Amino acid sequence: MSIETVLQSIFSVAFIATVIRVSTPIILPAMGGLLSELGGAINIALEGIMLAAAFTGVIVSGFAPQWLPGAPPWAYAGLGALAGVLVGMAMGWLIAFFHLELKTDIILTGLAMNILAAGGTVFLMFSLTGDKGSTSTLASARLPALEIPLVNNLPVLGTLLNGENGAGYNIMSYIAFLLVAVIWVYLYRMPAGAHLRATGEMPDAAQSVGIDVRRTRYWALVASGFCAALGGLYLSMGYLSIFQANMTAGRGFIALAVIYLGNRNPIGTLIAALIFGTASALGAQLGTLAVPPQLIEMIPPTVTIAALILYNLRRQARAAAAARKFQEQAEAGVKA
Amino acid sequence: MKNNKALVEIVRIVVVVLIALAIGFVITAIVSEEPVAAYTAFLTGPLPRISFENGFTITNINRFGNWMEESTTLILLGLAVSLVFRARQFSLGAEGQMLLGALATAIIAVHAPLPAPWHLILALVAAGTVGFLWGLIPGLLKAYLAVDEIVSTLMLNVIALQLSDLLLFNWLRDPNAGFIATISFPESVVLPLLIPGTRVSLMIVIMLVAVAATWFLMERTPFGYAQKMLGANRKFAEYGGINTKRVIALSMAISGILAGLAGAHLSLGLLKRLTINLSSGLGFEGIVVALLARNNPWLVLVAGLFYGYLRTGAQIMERSSDVTREVVLIIQAIIILLITAEQLFPRAQRWWRERRGDGEMVIDRG
Repeated sequence: MSIETVLQSIFSVAFIATVIRVSTPIILPAMGGLLSELGGAINIALEGIMLAAAFTGVIVSGFAPQWLPGAPPWAYAGLGALAGVLVGMAMGWLIAFFHLELKTDIILTGLAMNILAAGGTVFLMFSLTGDKGSTSTLASARLPALEIPLVNNLPVLGTLLNGENGAGYNIMSYIAFLLVAVIWVYLYRMPAGAHLRATGEMPDAAQSVGIDVRRTRYWALVASGFCAALGGLYLSMGYLSIFQANMTAGRGFIALAVIYLGNRNPIGTLIAALIFGTASALGAQLGTLAVPPQLIEMIPPTVTIAALILYNLRRQARAAAAARKFQEQAEAGVKA
Repeated sequence: MKNNKALVEIVRIVVVVLIALAIGFVITAIVSEEPVAAYTAFLTGPLPRISFENGFTITNINRFGNWMEESTTLILLGLAVSLVFRARQFSLGAEGQMLLGALATAIIAVHAPLPAPWHLILALVAAGTVGFLWGLIPGLLKAYLAVDEIVSTLMLNVIALQLSDLLLFNWLRDPNAGFIATISFPESVVLPLLIPGTRVSLMIVIMLVAVAATWFLMERTPFGYAQKMLGANRKFAEYGGINTKRVIALSMAISGILAGLAGAHLSLGLLKRLTINLSSGLGFEGIVVALLARNNPWLVLVAGLFYGYLRTGAQIMERSSDVTREVVLIIQAIIILLITAEQLFPRAQRWWRERRGDGEMVIDRG
């Protein structure tokens, strides 16, 4: 394939559609991680929660026809999604319980959850389907795609709004963007959101003005489990329609990095997630050229580290400037 | 008093492990047709069978060998994690350091032909050096720029994996291998075998030396003392004149040497070539070892042997029953959850006391 065709495919509307599809399973867990991070309880189990939810969705929607024969197909998909979300929230609650009640280190608890999900999904998959690699023998449901009516005949807009085949994006992609807006409103326009941020920034101060820090953190971790579960469900019931062992492939960890890259706010996090998505989509396109795909895959993590360095350099510079200003003011005060 | 505390700690760890194994058995019983046979294979599989029937014979020596091979890698990784935990850091970079350690040995093995002892020595030094440098990066970033080490090490793991694949696919790969791998390493670079019939090699000796060296570093050097002070209280350590930034950076870098050697064990000792999908998360297994051992190098030896036993047992169970080896991951997760739960036993105690208290109150009323 020549460079022109690759460039043509990159600077096309279809490429934007690809970016949205690839970014969805990063945006969703990143929003969850953002909530718990701002609440002062970092959740490194995003990866494990996605995996567990992805697995639960496939298993429940796959076996539901045996339990409830005769229901409409969308009911099976809905049941699977509901079960997946509940598992995600339960895992978030479990992290909160171990961290807040039993005083575990939250990072180690998150790691344990990741290990539990990685082991548990393969273990159960083998017991239920006899296969350790994937659930390809199980006919599981897919979450619907939403097609925006009437725009398909328009040349550019049709592809942009409904993807290149005109069938519309998966419902989870819409939820992802919606969630960014909802979380922004929650964090910056609602008292509960301010309480959450206060809890993360200065728990003692928050406690002293009557905010229930413990309850806020429980909520934040359960909510992060909810969002991460949506990301997992998208992978196994939208992007693909099977579960594969370790199918999250580090997206939960990338989501964590995206939060920092996005300066710990919803809009920044969304942009950072889209940057990651673009790099991945670009990798797939450039893979057809002579550029080794591994080289492209190295770009997002390198960008993340570089961004973290810049972020901290700026913070240090700002702190130094503030200290200098304080010093000058103090000296001016002495002279006066 | 101090002994008493240590005893309580040991009892606590043993209880946690027993609880985790019991939960593992319950899970096995739910999914398996023959749970007792499966669990017996799990818990006794790695032991060699010794019989005196026709003279003295040992069978299943390879299983014992698997146990020792597995434990050698785990102990090196456990030491690596302990060193970082001691400095109160949370590096998750052992995975990447291990991969690059293995990569370095492969480059030396394939592209730097040397006579017998030097080839191996150079490969090991290369693995340690690469591990050191790959650990130094997040160490420096954390110490001097306050870059979160969890995120940076996870990102460095991704880069390491891609770098390793990149070189393997495009430069190191043997086109005649039939799968993505280097040529079989020449004899001059492979770790010498110690127990015939197994893959237990000189690495087990290097591992023991590493345990002793880590102990010496932690307990008998100014660096170990500085690390201990830093772990106890960073501000206090700084008042005491300790360069905490240097200690943080060096802790992560030295930890990388050990992880790099673990990678060298995989490539030079076990596989005798470099392949793709070398590790699949093995680098994270050092964490449970360090936690069980409370970051004490000699206890890392014990904990690594124990956890290596469980992993080997799980593989044997998978081969001989209808239960997959992943049960060991579930047990591992439960161990981490329970062992870090500081309030677990005090809470259980309080709950127990309250129950007894209720009982007494009932008696009082009666």
